[in-house]
Formats: sequence, C-alpha cells, structure tokens
Amino acid sequence: MSKRHLTSVLSAIAIAAMLSLLPVASVAQSDAKADAKSGKGKAAQKENAADFQSASTPTPTGPAPKMPDGKPDLSGVWTPGLSFTQLGQVPLQPWAEELYKQRRANLSKDDPEGHCLPAGVPRISPFLQKFVQTPTLLVILDEGNIHSYRQVFLDGRPHLDDSGPLWMGDSIGKWDGDTLVVDTKFLNDKTWLNGQGLPHSDELHVVERFKRPDLGHLEIEITMEDPKAFTKPHTFTRTYLLRPTWEIQEYVCNEFNVDAEHLVGK
Amino acid sequence: MAFKFNAALVTGIGLLAAAAPVLAHHSFAAEYDSTKTVTVKGTINKLSWVNPHAYVFVDVKDASGKVTTWAFESLSPNALSRQGWNRNSLKQGEEVTVEGYMAKDGKPLADGSIHANSRAITRADGRKVFVGSSADDVPSK
Repeated sequence: MSKRHLTSVLSAIAIAAMLSLLPVASVAQSDAKADAKSGKGKAAQKENAADFQSASTPTPTGPAPKMPDGKPDLSGVWTPGLSFTQLGQVPLQPWAEELYKQRRANLSKDDPEGHCLPAGVPRISPFLQKFVQTPTLLVILDEGNIHSYRQVFLDGRPHLDDSGPLWMGDSIGKWDGDTLVVDTKFLNDKTWLNGQGLPHSDELHVVERFKRPDLGHLEIEITMEDPKAFTKPHTFTRTYLLRPTWEIQEYVCNEFNVDAEHLVGK
Repeated sequence: MAFKFNAALVTGIGLLAAAAPVLAHHSFAAEYDSTKTVTVKGTINKLSWVNPHAYVFVDVKDASGKVTTWAFESLSPNALSRQGWNRNSLKQGEEVTVEGYMAKDGKPLADGSIHANSRAITRADGRKVFVGSSADDVPSK
C-alpha cells in the first residue's frame, strides 16, 4: 500500500472513530502540536478540513495557469469539498417555502438525485467536477450524481431562442477581465437546489462568476434569480479545491440503485 | 508504523459532524433509521463493487448453524477508492463485525439479504478499518 493510500485509509479510520465516538482526540492533539511546531501548511490544512474526502490531501500552490490568449485556464479536477452545502438563506415565495417544508418533512425521499437523475445547476454534491477549457468552449464533466456535462459556449453565441426545459440548462460565457461569467437559462423545475429540497421554478436564471486566484483554488460567486419562486435574487459563493492527482471515475448510478424502492421517508 | 492523525483531519472531523454533509446520492433519513443500530458478527460473503453504493454482504451463522446474509450499504466505489480501497479490500470468508443502521421499511433486498447501512467494520485483529456510512445526516451519537 502506498503512503498516500495509507494516509487516506487512516483518514477513513479517523472519521470512523469520530462516528463511533472513539477517543481519538488525545492522539490527534499530539499530532496537532507537532504540526503547529513545524508550522507547515497550516492554512492548507485548515481549508482541506472542509473536504471530507481528502482531509489529508494537500491543495497545490502556485500561480493560476493561463491559456495561450492570456485568459485564466480553469481546467482541472476540482472537489467542491463541503462548499456545496453552502447556499445561504434563499428568499422563497410562500408556495416555494411550503413545498420546501413538505420535502423536508418527507426527509427528502423524493430527491431526484436519489433516483439517479441529474443534479442540475448550480447544485453539486460531493462528487468531483472536471473542467476542460478551450478558447471557445468550457466543458464541465460531472462525476455524479449521474455522469452529466455542461457545455459553456465561449464563442460569443447568444442563448438559444428558446429551449428545454433542460436538466443542465443552456450556458454561455464571456470574460470580465480574469473572471469567467457564465449565464445559464432554460432550466427545468425538477432539480432541487440542495439535499433538503430547496425548490426553484423553470424561470431560474443562474449567473456564475468563476475566478482562479491561484493554481489550487476556484472561487465561484453564484447569483440565482427566479421571479416565480424567489422574492429577490440571491448570491452565494463556493470554493473548489484542485485535486491534481485525482481523476473523475465511472459512476453508473442506475447500476444497482436499490435505494429507490426503499426510500420511504418518515 | 505509528498512527498519525493531523490537525486538518481533526478539524475535518469536527466539520463533518457539524455540517451533516450529503455523503450519499440519496437521503439517509428517508431510507435508514438512525435510532435502529445493529451490530452483527460474521464472515464476508462478498464486497459488491457497484454504483451508486458498494455493498458489503456478511454471512451470519446462528446457534443452529443457519446462515443469514446481511447487505450493508456503503459509500460509492469512487469514494472508497479515494480512501485507498478497491474491490478486493475485503476477502471472502474474513471475519468481521459490522455496525450499522437498519433500513426503515424492514424489507430485504431482492436476493433476500437483510438490508442495512454500514457505519464501521471491525476486522478480526481489532482494526476498525472502514467507515461505510452513507448517512447524509450522520447521527450525533
């Protein structure tokens, strides 16, 4: 077993220990002191802590890569860490609030993700995303919940005249300095904005502002407006971490999704 | 080799507990009962390396010699592989103790195995090697 794998397994063991309330704290504290003494990578450790899948995986440092035309290159395998859980308080209209309440009361049994349907935009679960950028196209490959993809057209084309409703929407992007601004429309109303069932309508309009301040980080400011479901636009941010040694992997959700028939709710 | 835990991991554990993240593609609470914990001791029948969740099948023999198979839902193969696991990480016939949560509906899987969600697996040598919980709302205790 490689050292990296051993470390990963130890991470799993530690999390298991937490879940079963084993007394790992004393061991952990002694190592924390050692880390503090060495002063190495404390900031990186802090942010990595937000990613349960890779708490021990360092996020690389260095300048953000550039495309030949000088624009930032957002390509890479990114983990959302726990940032996908952060939406803030979305200002819902009464009907949407009621629907949200019902979905929570049902313990999210009807979450489309549980039925192997796409997560939509901007929802992302813990699954990785791979960004592949060319001068005229950004492709975002989702490892999960099912394999799905977004094509963000950077060639100046306008939105489709009308389309959908679509699970992943119609996305076009343009550069605002070093920030890629992605505009997405024509989303369906079937996806949930979080695992608890935060609803939206088919008038959801999403604007994502992607920045890569350095090699290892992707900062995304997301503004959602939905005149049918929200009372006003809502903006929140997420930070993804680069995982240069990882790759997105096959994930065929319907292979053995026995969960669907056992999701009973309350 | 000495066990090493780092500060990030400790913080991570705290966050994991605090954030109640979605570790699965479905709601844990809609499928499993966090109040119905179970601990079974048996032998590995197989580690089924399938999506969206790997399953650990465990054969449990009662006093009369009758064997009952349990099916424990685990993380996805992708998540497990990033923790250093592969499809051969549990050997058939290996003795294990599995802690988990029962399925709410009490219904077996199609093959007749008892349906539960794994939280941790302890190997014969006492090592707790694996967190298989796919709970998106991991119980606080």
